[in-house]
Amino acid sequence: MTVQPLDAVHRDKIAQLPEEMFTIIKSVGRATEPRLGRLHILGRDTLETPHYVATTSRGVVPHITQDLFARATGINGVYVPLEDFIEKAPDKIPPLYQFKSPDGSSPLRRFIALRERALLVLGARRTPPIIAPAANPNTNTSVSISTSVGFRPLTAEDYAEAAEKLQPDIVVGLGDIPYGRALGSKRIEKATDRNIEWLQAHVDVRNDWYEDTTGPSTELFAPLLPVSCANQHYYIESLLQDRSKDVDGLAFYNLAALEDLPDGLSHLPRLALTEPTTPHEVLQHVSLGLDVLTVPFITAATDAGIALSFAFPATAAPKAEAPPVSLGIDMWTTDHATSLAPLVEGCECYACTNHHRAYLQHLLSAKEMLAWVLLQIHNHHTLDLFFAGIRKSLEDGSFQQNVEGFAKVYESRLPEKTGQGPRIRGYQFKSEGPGEPKKNPAPFQMLDDRSEKLAESTPPAADADAAELEEQGFAEKQS
Amino acid sequence: MAAQHSHRQRRVRYPLDPHPPASTNLPTSFQMVSLLKLSQVTEEGVRFLSPHDGSPMLLTPEHSISLQNSIGSDIMMQLDDVIATTSPDHARIKEAMHRSVRWLDRCIAAHEKPESQNLFCIIQGGLDLELRRECCREMVARDTPGIAIGGLSGGEAKDAFCKVVGTCTQLLPERKPRYVMGVGYPEDILVSVALGADMFDCVWPTRTARFGNGITAEGTFNLRHAAYAYDFRPVEEGCQCTCCRPQSEGGLGITRAYIHHVAAKETAGAHLLSMHNVHHLLELMRRAREAIVEQRYPEFLKEYFGRLYAGDKDKYPQWAVDALQGVEVDLLSD
Ligand SMILES: [Zn+2]
Ligand SMILES: [Zn+2]
Repeated sequence: MTVQPLDAVHRDKIAQLPEEMFTIIKSVGRATEPRLGRLHILGRDTLETPHYVATTSRGVVPHITQDLFARATGINGVYVPLEDFIEKAPDKIPPLYQFKSPDGSSPLRRFIALRERALLVLGARRTPPIIAPAANPNTNTSVSISTSVGFRPLTAEDYAEAAEKLQPDIVVGLGDIPYGRALGSKRIEKATDRNIEWLQAHVDVRNDWYEDTTGPSTELFAPLLPVSCANQHYYIESLLQDRSKDVDGLAFYNLAALEDLPDGLSHLPRLALTEPTTPHEVLQHVSLGLDVLTVPFITAATDAGIALSFAFPATAAPKAEAPPVSLGIDMWTTDHATSLAPLVEGCECYACTNHHRAYLQHLLSAKEMLAWVLLQIHNHHTLDLFFAGIRKSLEDGSFQQNVEGFAKVYESRLPEKTGQGPRIRGYQFKSEGPGEPKKNPAPFQMLDDRSEKLAESTPPAADADAAELEEQGFAEKQS
Repeated sequence: MAAQHSHRQRRVRYPLDPHPPASTNLPTSFQMVSLLKLSQVTEEGVRFLSPHDGSPMLLTPEHSISLQNSIGSDIMMQLDDVIATTSPDHARIKEAMHRSVRWLDRCIAAHEKPESQNLFCIIQGGLDLELRRECCREMVARDTPGIAIGGLSGGEAKDAFCKVVGTCTQLLPERKPRYVMGVGYPEDILVSVALGADMFDCVWPTRTARFGNGITAEGTFNLRHAAYAYDFRPVEEGCQCTCCRPQSEGGLGITRAYIHHVAAKETAGAHLLSMHNVHHLLELMRRAREAIVEQRYPEFLKEYFGRLYAGDKDKYPQWAVDALQGVEVDLLSD
């Protein structure tokens, strides 16, 4: 694979770009090669691709309040899963569906107070999702989603209507994605049929909805099954034929469908809802031509107390004898207790320009929430620079060489987690039954801690569970 | 009698801005150490097990001052011997008060930067007003730049709390700041201001935020309650904090429903409510100062309690009515 340097013709091309949603600025023409592009949606920051969108939980990038998101991060796009908002459906209309945007703009954007110019991508499930138990399979009309009150079905019809009503910038259509399970050929056939049908239904909703207007205000991305295109060829055919005018992009759940993606679909932007676990895997995803990625290991590293410390291209020259460089720094270790250095030397993020390692280590050992706030800012900044480095390399033709250099310089995996994460929250908390030990014991025990807690808390919410009551000091759970 | 009356009448003081400008530091304090499990107080200092690794440690008055000198806090606190006011051991409370006075002498002697750092003494003596008076006399004689009233943990009855604050403020010099430690409930702060206190500090506004509680002029509400799931108003209507202010005015326009959605599930929920709660208290103090300057603090208090209890005077806490009566403010009058 060779990517030529950006020449004068390319530069001209950038200058004359029409206002299309997605423009490929540079590629070698084949489907599965890295490419430079630009995702442009009216009113939003232009996303130079390859890029990533930050993953959210309950509408927020974990640990980053919405004002901090705007002030202290460079994040310009987020992925929001609908399953985070609809635990009350279908018995009750979820609050999000009743919320009216004060200015008529996207109710989802206003409800979660997302920065005006940040790109908003909506999908059905989290990435990575909690895998539904076998007892809760997808059906011909619905997928199984995970909510804070358990698994429940979400029908394709409900999803399409909600997604259009919520007006994200990009809607990922509902797919029969078999998370965590290999598909037999019968099951693939079934999934292919469902995808065709659900996409058709979603397009019908859009056509109905926007009949009297200039067209849909959202971009519809078609989900591809995590199998080769040959294995889902009826669906691929429908995308090439009937749906060619209706679909604005493609969503990928693994790399299989990229292998034989037909040229007829290569103009579409490719969103990856995959789970790269290392920057090496991110590079591999980019190498195969994915444009917009989700990178769940950013928040995972933050929760583990790890400051990501890699750069692309690698700043150190690969040396034959040198040991591989670590991809991240475990901030829990007491080595940092007296270090006044920034998390990463030269880093210009808010955390590194205002604080030092010793403070971060102190915050972690005191289990102050600010530790994770600062780490999350730094880790996202690291990925901002990582993707900027990728784009620059693609532009000047050094990408492949830099990928090889990166693999030589850095360790293959992120450091192991040693410390405790933040208090386990919401979705992450999977009860193992009664009597389990408290997930994260408090670092300090005050003599009158309990009476103090009781004095300050108002009576518990009607829907509080035992663990919450215990935390409020109302009672100790009996084992 | 007239003389006594005028003695009881006190000027409401202008409370210091509890939010220091960015160039100043918060007071440092080691009070918590003595509340840790397994701590043991001797004349030498406080022995305790390190919360980090369990190794035995000794904190002396000299060491606490040396640490605060190196931290460089604008206000530094003496090391004191704190006993919960609810302790039944009167002899121990008395001993702690006298020891705190002796430790103050050691702190003053050890203080290396009196020209740039302000050492506050901490009045002790539990709920025994005679012990508090004796402590005030002893400590005021040592002429520290500021005076803290300590040992009020929140566990004591509110009327006892008010008596301690009122007793101490009467004996303290006019021109030194008076800092009531560990007070955070709005009513407690406003009544303490009426009793002559200037400064407060408390973890309550942020801690209660972590439990999903939002502070408003109408009371404190737990937004985790199902009733807020569909409530699309801001945490407090008209609030100008970043969280509540509408998006059209540069705020986030966060609704109660959204707080309900993230409270206790994402750390950001606690952060958003903390922003609001801290703003609420700062705004409350700003309005209190304004009222004092305009000589209408009693009216301000009446308005405040009226709103908090929706005009139902039967619901006013008796301790607040009594304490304010003592400084010529009749909450129940119209
Ligand atoms: Zn940084
Ligand atoms: Zn507010």
